[in-house]
Amino acid sequence: MSRPMVGKTGVVVIAVLLAGGTALVGQRGGGRGGGGHASRGAARTSVSHASPNVGGNRSANVDRSANVDRSANVNRNADVNRNVDVNRNVNRDVNFDRDIDVGRGYGVGDGCCYHPVARATAAAVTTAAVVGSAVNSIPSSCSAVSVDGLTYQQCGSTWYQPEFSGSAVTYVVVNPPR
Amino acid sequence: MYQDLWRKTICAAAVVLPLMSISCNRQSVGQKQPAVEEQNAGAARVGTTGTTAPAQPEAGTSSTATASDAATERDADAIKALEDMSNYLRTLKAIQVHATTSRDEVLVDGQNVTFSGTLDMIAERPNHLRAEVINDKQQRMYFDDGKTFSVWARRVNYYATIPAPPTLRELAEKLSDEYNVELPLADLFYWGDSKTTGDIVGAIDLGPAQVDGTTCEHYAFRQKGADWQVWIQQGNYPLPRKLVITTTTDPARPRYTSVMTWNLAPSFDDAAFTFEPPKDAKKIMFGRTPTGNSE
Repeated sequence: MSRPMVGKTGVVVIAVLLAGGTALVGQRGGGRGGGGHASRGAARTSVSHASPNVGGNRSANVDRSANVDRSANVNRNADVNRNVDVNRNVNRDVNFDRDIDVGRGYGVGDGCCYHPVARATAAAVTTAAVVGSAVNSIPSSCSAVSVDGLTYQQCGSTWYQPEFSGSAVTYVVVNPPR
Repeated sequence: MYQDLWRKTICAAAVVLPLMSISCNRQSVGQKQPAVEEQNAGAARVGTTGTTAPAQPEAGTSSTATASDAATERDADAIKALEDMSNYLRTLKAIQVHATTSRDEVLVDGQNVTFSGTLDMIAERPNHLRAEVINDKQQRMYFDDGKTFSVWARRVNYYATIPAPPTLRELAEKLSDEYNVELPLADLFYWGDSKTTGDIVGAIDLGPAQVDGTTCEHYAFRQKGADWQVWIQQGNYPLPRKLVITTTTDPARPRYTSVMTWNLAPSFDDAAFTFEPPKDAKKIMFGRTPTGNSE
């Protein structure tokens, strides 16, 4: 698809940020944090409890997503555009954030999920993954490592700490624990 | 009395806005049968191919706003039915529920996509829970043994625990507020705990309806952020058999649906509520919410 790169992706970024700020006020975090795929929210599953914090910030699908709020490079560097494009591709593939077992590899699409893109351009991008960003799946080449009782996944020089984001498992890029 | 006033108001408005007279007439005709046909602003199309006539004629479009205003009726009987259901849930010491669920997720371009799943849950007052959720994306088990709440992601074999609050309602709140986790069918624990009808601004009774071969009464409610429907079993066991929640804060209006089958005399022992991690399962943390500790 040909398109004006910056303009269109810029719009997408704005749309995502807007969604986080206002459109998803009632969205109860989605239970599963939907990082990675280009979803802006999910239907709430309860009518009873209005959280005091429902204003966007609590939305797992927005905040916990590597490519949106959690990612330090969303707002300030050129990676933004590439990230968003990745998201769009994932979106087209409907490659949602299933709990992809690291032993089973990527699942669908070699352009999936932000991280492989960084790998592909590793020569140029020395800091491939921003500490604090999160992804939904990690390469099958990663290995589980336990350091001081905590579980990590080491993928080359990048370390991830798996955690529950809502009921979804995400992998947060951390500084090497050792 | 109230309805007369309401009708007069509408008709008075119709004098000013001729377009609205359509809606006014329809209201008058259908007064005894609220909300089913005459306020229907449209329905989902049932095919994806071929060309369809516009779902709404022009006049229908303009009457939509009227219908939506008029629909904020708050039927006291519908509210009472909800309260009766809640009262009944409060009498149940232990429940077993099987549910089939579907949940829309909204893509960034506004398209809804739907994911299906099942839920099996046993709950015992005040704070015992065992639930298994299997959907297109996740397999999760939730445990509350009275002291500890655990969630286990079966496929990736991670689990996390937090101290359990005294009641399942408080657990639902804590999970929602602090961990962004939705307890499955959390409404059951809210309904079964205290009055929760205060937020409801619209309530209507849509009449009898079948759910899995059981006759239920179909109610629709509106509140800030959600339009929702519940099918309550008729007779001596006023249980919610089906729940549909439409999120109205997103213009795509994604829906969550759950159809429930109940067992009011479940058999279980206490061990059922205790999570024994598999030997190779790895314990991880709950992510911090933005309002929680910074990293």
